[in-house]
Amino acid sequence: MPHQCIECGRTFPDGSKEMLSGCPDCGGNKFQFKPAGATESSEPARSAGSASSADPEATADPAPSAGSGTTAESEPAPGFDSSAKSGSKSPSSDPGDPAGPADTSGSSDPTGDADTTDPNTTDPDTTDPVEGDAERIDDEEEEDTAQASARSDVVTPDELDRAAREAGASETDPEVDGESMEPPASQPGVDELRDELNEQFESIKIVSPGQYELNLMELYDRQEYIISLQEDGRYVIEMPDAWGVTDE
Amino acid sequence: MGLLTSLKDSISRVTDGLFAADEPKRIGIYGPPNAGKTTLANRIARDWTGDAVGPESHIPHETRRARRKENVEIERNGRKVTIDIVDTPGVTTKVDYKEFLDHDMDKEDAVRRSREATEGVAEAMHWLREDVDGVIYVLDSTTDPFTQVNTMLIGIIESQDLPALILANKTDLPESDVQQIANAFPQHETIPLSALEGENMDEVYTKIAEYFG
Repeated sequence: MPHQCIECGRTFPDGSKEMLSGCPDCGGNKFQFKPAGATESSEPARSAGSASSADPEATADPAPSAGSGTTAESEPAPGFDSSAKSGSKSPSSDPGDPAGPADTSGSSDPTGDADTTDPNTTDPDTTDPVEGDAERIDDEEEEDTAQASARSDVVTPDELDRAAREAGASETDPEVDGESMEPPASQPGVDELRDELNEQFESIKIVSPGQYELNLMELYDRQEYIISLQEDGRYVIEMPDAWGVTDE
Repeated sequence: MGLLTSLKDSISRVTDGLFAADEPKRIGIYGPPNAGKTTLANRIARDWTGDAVGPESHIPHETRRARRKENVEIERNGRKVTIDIVDTPGVTTKVDYKEFLDHDMDKEDAVRRSREATEGVAEAMHWLREDVDGVIYVLDSTTDPFTQVNTMLIGIIESQDLPALILANKTDLPESDVQQIANAFPQHETIPLSALEGENMDEVYTKIAEYFG
């Protein structure tokens, strides 16, 4: 679930058009992007893993002291090595494939069963906070159609390939050496994400915080403007509806 | 045939007249930052309604949201023209917070201002696409008008077939060069003025009535 409303925590699938007119639940227009590195390899196991790792951040982020919000995606969390490996990408090598995602959700979801490790938590439903799960399943189902429609509009095959390669590259990192890779793995992720956003929505390019380059023709041609903010993957989508002139 | 044509003409004159009476034309005041757009908007609004539109400042990007003054009635030669004025944020291709640091602003404020200014440009471009019936393009006559922004905006305005009035502002300054502006856009009429001092506003109002009436 790469996009999350920072007001109410609702998540949206990659490419979702729903959020273009603001969050349907709370009307918020601030979203954060989770650099899942899995934009392409969106098989269920993987997306379940990333969804569950979104939880600690959405709720409180209690356990890991270091990681802060935006790095939650690549965080091994309490489980460290084992969970990092099973979660990040080894469904094929893992004997119990279906247990893979469940492991991650258990270990990276400190709210529920906290330290009680994997075996307990094979059933994700019990470990996840109440309603989050149902919503997430919906999202997964929507994801295909939403992505399909969005991508058919916007993204070219070339871009898909590139995104897949980038995703692959960022996924291999944590595998190489488990915990020590954590901070470096998250940093390039943000940079890549920013580049990607800049390429996709090139009407406004962020050079560095407070420094922008504007493509006037893009701004003129585009119906909506996506203004990415500098703060690690958070961005605001401004729709023309949200703009009204100030009458004096 | 001739009868039919003249009948058609007179019908369209009547419908035009009705349209004009119902909906005042919305005139966008456009131009690069610090050209004097808000000063002009305030001058027009004060002259004809008594109110101002927004705060003016020497710091670029003071106007970061479009501001509108509705139903400004301008009277010229016994004829009334009613327009809505939209004062838009200055359009530019680069916004850098560093340019605000010289204006007694700390970094945090400067960064915020530059983000708002960027959003303001996006908004101005949006208005240009959808919501204006005519453009008053304000240029600082002390600066070189041959810029990417001016060329692009004038090009867009022309491609939209919007009536456009080009104003060479700041004629009160010694380095003002109105001819340079006129040379840059020979396909348009250039009117010199000082919005700050109120110089040549009579001609400006006459042209507004002529172009947008």
